[in-house]
Amino acid sequence: MKKLNLRLFRMIKKTKGQYVAVLSIIITGIFIFTAVSNSAVNLRNTLDDYYDATNFADIFVTAAALPERLERELEGHDNIRQADVRLALDAKLITGDEDERVNVRAVSVDSKENKINELFVKKGRRTIKEKEIMVIDQFALARELDVGDEIDLNIRGRKFRFNISAIVSSPEYVYLMENEQTLLPDYEKFGVVFIEEEYLRRISGSGLFNEVVIRVNNQDDLDETKDYLEEYLKRYGVMRVIDRDEQLSNSMLNEEIRGLETVSRSIPVLFLIFAGIMLSVMLSRIIKKDRTSIGVLKAVGFLDGELITHYLKYAATVGILGGLLGAISGTLASGAMTRMYLEFFNIPMLTVQVYYERLFVSVILSTIFCLLSGFWGIRAILRINPAESMRPETPKQGKKIILEDFKLFWNKLTFSWRMVFRNIFREKKKFLLIGAAASISCSLMIMTMWMSETMDVIYVGHYSEFMKMDYNVGFKGFKDEGVLNEIKKYINYEHMEGRVELPFEIENGRHSKIVNVIGLEKNTRFYDFRDKKGNKLSVPAEGILISSNLAKVLKASEGDRIFLKSFIPGREGEYVTVKGVIEQSLGINGYMNIDYINKKFLDKGIINGVFISSDDKIKAKLVNINEIMSTQSREDMQNIFEEFTGLIVAFMGAMVIFSGMLGFVILYAMTLMSINERTLEFSSLRVMGFTKIEIFKMLIKENSVMSVIGILAGIPLGKLLVEYVGLTFNTDIYTFHGSVSTKNIFIAIILTIIFIISAQLMTYVKINRLDFMQALKSRIT
Amino acid sequence: MGDILFRVQSLSKYYQMGEVTVKALEDVSFEVEKGEFIVILGPSGSGKSTLLNIIGGMDTPTRGSVVFNGEKITNFTDKELTMYRRYKIGFVFQFYNLIATLTARENVELVAEITRSTADIDEIMEAVGLYDRMDHFPSQMSGGEQQRVAIARAVAKNPQILLCDEPTGALDFETGINILKVLKDVNVKYKNTVMVITHNSPIAQMADRVIKMRSGTITEIIKNESPLAPERIVW
Repeated sequence: MKKLNLRLFRMIKKTKGQYVAVLSIIITGIFIFTAVSNSAVNLRNTLDDYYDATNFADIFVTAAALPERLERELEGHDNIRQADVRLALDAKLITGDEDERVNVRAVSVDSKENKINELFVKKGRRTIKEKEIMVIDQFALARELDVGDEIDLNIRGRKFRFNISAIVSSPEYVYLMENEQTLLPDYEKFGVVFIEEEYLRRISGSGLFNEVVIRVNNQDDLDETKDYLEEYLKRYGVMRVIDRDEQLSNSMLNEEIRGLETVSRSIPVLFLIFAGIMLSVMLSRIIKKDRTSIGVLKAVGFLDGELITHYLKYAATVGILGGLLGAISGTLASGAMTRMYLEFFNIPMLTVQVYYERLFVSVILSTIFCLLSGFWGIRAILRINPAESMRPETPKQGKKIILEDFKLFWNKLTFSWRMVFRNIFREKKKFLLIGAAASISCSLMIMTMWMSETMDVIYVGHYSEFMKMDYNVGFKGFKDEGVLNEIKKYINYEHMEGRVELPFEIENGRHSKIVNVIGLEKNTRFYDFRDKKGNKLSVPAEGILISSNLAKVLKASEGDRIFLKSFIPGREGEYVTVKGVIEQSLGINGYMNIDYINKKFLDKGIINGVFISSDDKIKAKLVNINEIMSTQSREDMQNIFEEFTGLIVAFMGAMVIFSGMLGFVILYAMTLMSINERTLEFSSLRVMGFTKIEIFKMLIKENSVMSVIGILAGIPLGKLLVEYVGLTFNTDIYTFHGSVSTKNIFIAIILTIIFIISAQLMTYVKINRLDFMQALKSRIT
Repeated sequence: MGDILFRVQSLSKYYQMGEVTVKALEDVSFEVEKGEFIVILGPSGSGKSTLLNIIGGMDTPTRGSVVFNGEKITNFTDKELTMYRRYKIGFVFQFYNLIATLTARENVELVAEITRSTADIDEIMEAVGLYDRMDHFPSQMSGGEQQRVAIARAVAKNPQILLCDEPTGALDFETGINILKVLKDVNVKYKNTVMVITHNSPIAQMADRVIKMRSGTITEIIKNESPLAPERIVW
């Protein structure tokens, strides 16, 4: 081995604590990048493969009544490759529990194979006969249903018994939700079942179909094809034409993948920046310590370039090793992570690949990054003059620090505290880095605490403060307001209001979004609408209130005229005025006066649901009212929500560990560096009679001052981060707003302090092991 | 008269210290022959280290020139100066300046590597009396031993001149004498020109020629007709 390389190797060995520290940050950064971004790619590839294998539709059409010949008619269109009509009905699973309402969507399938949206059989057989049923796997698992079991369904008021012939997955219901308003999947309360087409048509009394799924030839002409379908299918009472991007399950999955991509781009950058700064500071200190050696090497004939290369190899090893270990462990973890996601979403296929080019890119990126940071740290080599470096470095001109001008403060400090402050001002860069590390750790902790609490706040805020009903009852189709009187006969209630909930495609210029608009009584007691400033808004007599996330999607604001395209056959769209933008944490909606929505889009006195506030257990009492489709209580939502916070809790745990690690590692490495550099100073103190503990305390004091400042700075930084995350991670389902609570800040500070104290205690081992006397004896370079 | 190794002509070096101009060297001229053992003698601040640094290609003069083997090194670029130091010069410093993380042998091999020298490292280590201590790290060696390593390191690249800056300055008398013996042996055995700068006047007794300096100028150049063996020097 070349002697300079041998020196490098020993230099790494000597600074192993700091080396491992910076290496671990690089590994973590690259690990998160590789694990998360690979998972996103794996998930996307798996989905694509799954969609390909099942011939997932490009366009989904819902209409009032579609004839079978439509398939042939549509397949005559240039861009329509395949069309498949089907029947989809909402039915009820009949369970032993009278209090329980379980909705299922019964979808017709071909007896052997679907042209489009083919099912993936997990258990049982695909061929299906009369009185047989295939059940979607998430639902089957939640309800403990298996092949061979019998289930009873209430279809259009009549009871039918089916034998389960298969447990299946469907590309259309990977993310199994009843509709956009459900917000979260509830596998026990909503499922999808597949019944042989002819049989379903016969038992439901539907001669015609109500949905058509389509595959196109050319994705580029998708919009034109959708426009064509809307126009062509008007005669069949077209209600909804959506493409794959808008399809509920697919859009939720895309949202998830986008979230992963955002994480893979943001968090690793933070880690790499800190690793870069640390590496740069570390190398600049090594250079400073090696000043004479560098001078000697220059004197014996080494070129600047050779010496720069020598020290850059230190940085390069960090980059290559960190990149490799991070990328390999990240790739391994991405396999497990993808599996976890696929299991979570019940995707029956698995496409996990090793992306060699990504491994390579990770290593190259991390190496280049480390080389650049390293060069920044060692550029001082160029300024070292061999002749001057042989002489002891001129001590820095002693000067007062700024704190000394504050006489009242300074005079009150003990001698050891004065030393602490002087040291901090003498080593500004190092202490700024410690402060920054404490600050980032604290702010990340604040963000993590906020996120975990905000999920709760979102839920409580939405279901207790924003919406105040205890029950939301949905009807089968539209009813006369007279149905309320029937309900009133069965239950005790405090207050009841009929409501209308209708899907619309809302357009503002070229921006559009399909959302449910809810028609409410003018003085509704079930909603508390507030604008961004917290001002109360009431339901306008005319016009619409829209949620802030809808306003963002549509780029609409108060006073704008937006177009509401109805899906009710025979009803044209209408322009309405935005009368206000409201804050809503969960979901994306519009709200109108019930009379106004009826006048514009329906008929007077028509409702399709009711809100009820009641202490009565009304679910069991309403179960026999045939007009009722669903009854959802606040508790139902609470339970579903808690189930789904499991994944979030795991994510939060990982975030706490990563953010704490960042602070821990930087503080640990910087303290080690301090100990290495100040061995002589500490040795002198030992000779004077200072104990190891006293010296350790001095170090702790220095670090603590910067850590406290860092933590304090971390509070506003954390708040900024929260604001950024709130803006970045908003989806159609969640809207993050709300501030960080004092309790969260307190917990974040305590956690940061725990990590900082742990790092300090680790460094004591080094102090304890230092041979101070030897350090005084050997003053060699 | 033997072959001239280098010629120093009207060399001056000024430093600006605030508003004061410090004349470290003022109009210094002399010549050095191949194989000579030269001692530059002078008190602290007399300019001897500055002179050595300029001759060694580690510093540049304000005025004047140094011609080495017919080449004017004072016109050299940085890179040419580095190559000059690499292939022509061997340095021995007062505080040894060894690389702490390399063993004695590795310190010597380090320079042999960059000069692609074919010198026998074992032989050199034996010549400086460190054959048995080759695998020790500097921190495990006494000052005298470290200085021997420094000499071996300088010799290993087979330089044309050995420039020694106060090589005994940090050593006790006996060790100092031993080091001087090693330098003399190197001078004789390898035919290297050796230039020692020191403030310790008895050392001048072993030189072929003594250049005395004071306040940046040469006050006297003395040819020593009968140099003393190092072991006979006392201070």
